[in-house]
Amino acid sequence: MIPNSGGVRSRRSRAQLAALLKVQAKLSLREPYALGVGVGLPVVLLVVFGLISKNVPGNVGGTGLTVIDLYIPVIMVISFIGIAISLPNTLVRDRELGWLRRLSTTPVHPSQLLGAQLVVDLVLAAAAIVTAIVGGTLIFGAPLTVDIPFFILSVALAIVEIFSLGLVVVALVRTQATASVVSGVLFFALLFLSGLWLQPDVIGGPVQVIMLYSPSGAAVRALLYSMFGQAPPVTILVALVGYTLVFAFVAVRYFRWE
Amino acid sequence: MWSARRARPVRPERRLVPTRQHRLPYVLHPDRTPGDEQPAVTIKNLVKRYGSLLAVDDVSFSIQEGEIFGIIGPNGAGKTTTVECISGLRIPDSGSISVYGLSPQHDRGSIREFVGVQLQESALPPRLRVGEALELFASFYPTPLDPQEVLESLGIKNIERTAFKNLSGGQKQRVSIALALVGNPRIAILDELTTGLDPEARRGTWALIERMRERGVTVILVTHFMDEAETLCDRLALIDHGGLRALDTPEAIAAQAGGNRVRFIPSHPVDDEALYAVHGVQAVERKERYVTVTGTGDLAASLIDSLAAMGVKVSELEARRGNLDDAFIMLTRENASMVPEEDRA
Repeated sequence: MIPNSGGVRSRRSRAQLAALLKVQAKLSLREPYALGVGVGLPVVLLVVFGLISKNVPGNVGGTGLTVIDLYIPVIMVISFIGIAISLPNTLVRDRELGWLRRLSTTPVHPSQLLGAQLVVDLVLAAAAIVTAIVGGTLIFGAPLTVDIPFFILSVALAIVEIFSLGLVVVALVRTQATASVVSGVLFFALLFLSGLWLQPDVIGGPVQVIMLYSPSGAAVRALLYSMFGQAPPVTILVALVGYTLVFAFVAVRYFRWE
Repeated sequence: MWSARRARPVRPERRLVPTRQHRLPYVLHPDRTPGDEQPAVTIKNLVKRYGSLLAVDDVSFSIQEGEIFGIIGPNGAGKTTTVECISGLRIPDSGSISVYGLSPQHDRGSIREFVGVQLQESALPPRLRVGEALELFASFYPTPLDPQEVLESLGIKNIERTAFKNLSGGQKQRVSIALALVGNPRIAILDELTTGLDPEARRGTWALIERMRERGVTVILVTHFMDEAETLCDRLALIDHGGLRALDTPEAIAAQAGGNRVRFIPSHPVDDEALYAVHGVQAVERKERYVTVTGTGDLAASLIDSLAAMGVKVSELEARRGNLDDAFIMLTRENASMVPEEDRA
């Protein structure tokens, strides 16, 4: 029995993880937030900017890129932000309700619920990436020449960075009410910095620099370069790695299950 | 009505003859005699502080396997803290706790496998459906019960597909109990399980606890309802201001505190001295022709015997057994040292 017990245990923990994944996936689909902002909003933005791009072809702010070219990475980053911002709404609530504490009295640790939630969110993010790229190229004809290694690096950094920022909110905010205010403010700040309303190249000056090196702006830039066959500037990548480390550290340091 | 899902699969040919015999294997100890099993839980000199507040102060008791053990006491007495130390949710400042020989602090992983917990304040995600929550919890345990059967026995099969946010208070409470049971625990810790329930739902919940007793589950019940403790519990620990005030069967605690009362009209006048001489009498009061005697033990019988020996008959006899309510109030008042003189007599 003893040599087998490890196998039994790991089979059971796989079953536990599968059950958690199933429940978190169902809950995510029932919550309007992650799906709506993470996948729905990008689809709407894709259509809006795709149509604008068809009517205003050409060279935005001297970049040599069309509107849709510039906005594909913005749309991707917005979906990451939307998904990350739904993390506090879900997890702060579950903690406040005592659900995480309740789980901690079972053989499953609440960190496994967090893990399952993050897996579900990664799937949503992947769906958003595919939507943005397929929609942008096939429907609206953006001439993407993706540099695959840099693209994978940029996507990975952008997702880890922005998800970590969501977890920072989960770690620092106690109540659901505060969480929805904080994540609401953060959502619009990040959307602005990503260049949704005004592209940094159009703004210019110090604001442009701030936007380029902001958490969401840097993610957009890294994706933009790697999607048009170029290596992202080292400064942008360094900024992204730096944000990721800081956010992850704060999230881990201050995380509470009860 | 209960069956283990994975550990003991019901083979198809057995399902063809669904006699009561087939339920038996799921009873842990069908022929147990309460009182002579090994302790399931042993607590020694438990101390827990929150800052300067001494929540639990040197509490010791043990809980036998298969018994329904009640922990009663006023609000803020330290009941919840005590059971949270047993389930490993809180770490004691000093003292020791053993759950089947395991330490909740150091072997928390093992203890969580066979201790089911219902927390006083704990809700489910609002959009999670009842059936999904039970399936989820069943997947966590090595030998869970069938969620369908748990729902059925709790009478909540009809809300299987209802989201938690749409449940009534009583339904939420039942779901909470269902989650504590679906893992097929050896020990179930139920904290304030009928608070906020209507009388009918309370009775239903009590019946459920009785059924757990039949299955041999050790139940630790935290409550501040004396009728609940009196009806369900084999033994009680009365905790007040963090300390253990009484530890016995509900009847013994009720009797120990006195409060049995007999009222009658004697056929001839009787002296107070003669009445105080009767075994168990603590106080005598007179109002018009009525004599009211309070005390411990089988008061009415010993009074009638003694009076008969004196040639006195009694009429309009009225006897009231002291209940746990009286005992509770006396024991918790004594602690606050606010007992009026006449109660000390």
